[in-house]
Amino acid sequence: MRTLNNVLSDLAHAIVHGHETPPDAQAVYPNYRVTTAMTVYRNNYRGNLHDTLACVYPVTEQLVGKDFFRMMTRQFIGQHFSCSGNLHHYGAEMAAFIAGFTPAQGLAYLPDVVALEWACHCAYFAPDAATLDINKLSRIPPGHYPDLILLIHPACHVVRSRYPITAIWHAHQPNAPGEFHIDLDSGPCIALASRMNDVIHVSELAEADAAWLLSIQAGTPLGTATDATQKQYPDFDLQAALINLASKNVLTDFNLGAAP
Amino acid sequence: MDKPATHALPCTAGIGLRAPHYREVLETLPKLGWVEVHSENFFGGGAPLHTLLRVREHYSISLHGVGMGLASAAPLAEDHLSALHRLCDAVQPAAVSEHLCWNSAVGMVINDLLPFPYTHEALSHVTSRIEQVQEKLGCQLLVENLSSYLSFSHSEMSEGEFLAELTRRTGCGILFDVENLYVNARNLGVDAGAFIRAIPAEAVKEYHLAGYGIMDGCLVDTHGAPVCPEVWDLYELALRHIGPRPTLIEWDTDIPELPTLLGEATKAQQYMERYHADIE
Amino acid sequence: MNNRHILSAAIGTLLALGLASGNVNAADKKMEMEKCFGIAKAGKNDCSSNKSAHSCAGQATKNNDPMDFVAVPKGTCDKIAGGSLAGSM
Repeated sequence: MRTLNNVLSDLAHAIVHGHETPPDAQAVYPNYRVTTAMTVYRNNYRGNLHDTLACVYPVTEQLVGKDFFRMMTRQFIGQHFSCSGNLHHYGAEMAAFIAGFTPAQGLAYLPDVVALEWACHCAYFAPDAATLDINKLSRIPPGHYPDLILLIHPACHVVRSRYPITAIWHAHQPNAPGEFHIDLDSGPCIALASRMNDVIHVSELAEADAAWLLSIQAGTPLGTATDATQKQYPDFDLQAALINLASKNVLTDFNLGAAP
Repeated sequence: MDKPATHALPCTAGIGLRAPHYREVLETLPKLGWVEVHSENFFGGGAPLHTLLRVREHYSISLHGVGMGLASAAPLAEDHLSALHRLCDAVQPAAVSEHLCWNSAVGMVINDLLPFPYTHEALSHVTSRIEQVQEKLGCQLLVENLSSYLSFSHSEMSEGEFLAELTRRTGCGILFDVENLYVNARNLGVDAGAFIRAIPAEAVKEYHLAGYGIMDGCLVDTHGAPVCPEVWDLYELALRHIGPRPTLIEWDTDIPELPTLLGEATKAQQYMERYHADIE
Repeated sequence: MNNRHILSAAIGTLLALGLASGNVNAADKKMEMEKCFGIAKAGKNDCSSNKSAHSCAGQATKNNDPMDFVAVPKGTCDKIAGGSLAGSM
């Protein structure tokens, strides 16, 4: 008798790769044959993954249309199997996949829109975090400000693009007016996905603010990060950046790092 | 308000709560003892978890997992188990359940509920996995019988016998999905009466009722239709042999308006009450 | 030094404004969540119903084998100027 592992492995290959059904499965049932059963399982497998991708990438699906999207996900599913019992982890490689997907080559901005949608998806399911405690901050002596390590909300994600992806994203939200016209030549953008009161917000960041945020996100103390940003971007306005990011629930907490 | 202790699902009819009904349920607070949700949809924080916690203020919650893969040959995914553990801590569910199925092999996960041969090898394997889950969660796990579209020539026992032995070895409970049993009876020729006699009545903690679809002669567990008369009959048989237990109406595809769902729950409630009346 | 002054001024303003998203009043918060549920009914947004991907029911009775000849995107990409030419940018 074959081991459980062997039986399940062969069945997995039969479902995912279309291999022959292993002989362990009975061939004939009262109202159908085993080929019908395998069709059911293969359909379920692909259908569940397609629906998952359609949930994660609704803007992309609108951009290319349902038929094209289904064709695209079918190819993607053929190349990327799921690695988790939690479907929320499925589909991370979609942006890279579309970048190399010939029929979508005409839409150069598409991989970046896909990356932004993945960022929003991750933001949606990110763990909860504290909101910035202003009273706690007020108790820090100003002399310690340069040593502050600001903690960034796990839902905060930054996506860079040569194309106006935030405008594209906003134009496809359910509350957006149906008509829009977007000019791809309107230049590059840095999109920020953040979560406030459980709702995902997509906004644009200035180059300097994004550089500062990424530095802070990497755990750099406030003084060092601000210095470095100001050297590179003399116009950097820390006050405006702090207010903007605090209002978007990007800053959650802080500590004094290794400082005394 | 005190939170109901684990495994204190009220012995009434509940509904599977899905996203299209969150708002209406929270606004109208229909008379229901409990609701069941799919655990994985609430892994992480944000809107899903906070919505569930709001629902939790009004109803007992049953967490029904679809992604653990209790019978997979690969080791249990620690991150998955930890995420479920965190969710249980946050929600303090009245019941936690998983399916008697596998979902992972050769490094791939197939996000479905897949059947396996009921052998002694599988029995010891699933036993140790259930023990691992129960130890981590610190509570009893309910294990649901599967709707299957194929069976294995080298199975050494029936699904009912397999489940009965699991409860004996691990102290787990049984979530008896009546529609799954009906699907297996029609598809695979499983003896429904024998299944009901095989599982220990005291281990059964919950029933599921749902509707099915048909593809090329094969009944498919779509949860996309009303409960059919034959499944109601089988439910009645279960009520007679096992007794009334918390009973869930599951509807996952082509989800109807909330009143339709509540209507099905009322019908289940009437079956349970009729049973009570019969034995008085 | 200059840097310290900038930090003090910036954080000072933040403190003066009392600005943190936690301070958003309860009514606003509720409205935003309601909006989220409202959208969930329409089922088309990032905070929507269709994020609930996990189900113990399958898709087996639906046709999941699309025809391969649909090779041209036919969606709202038409409304993005230069969208089909952007590859040459």
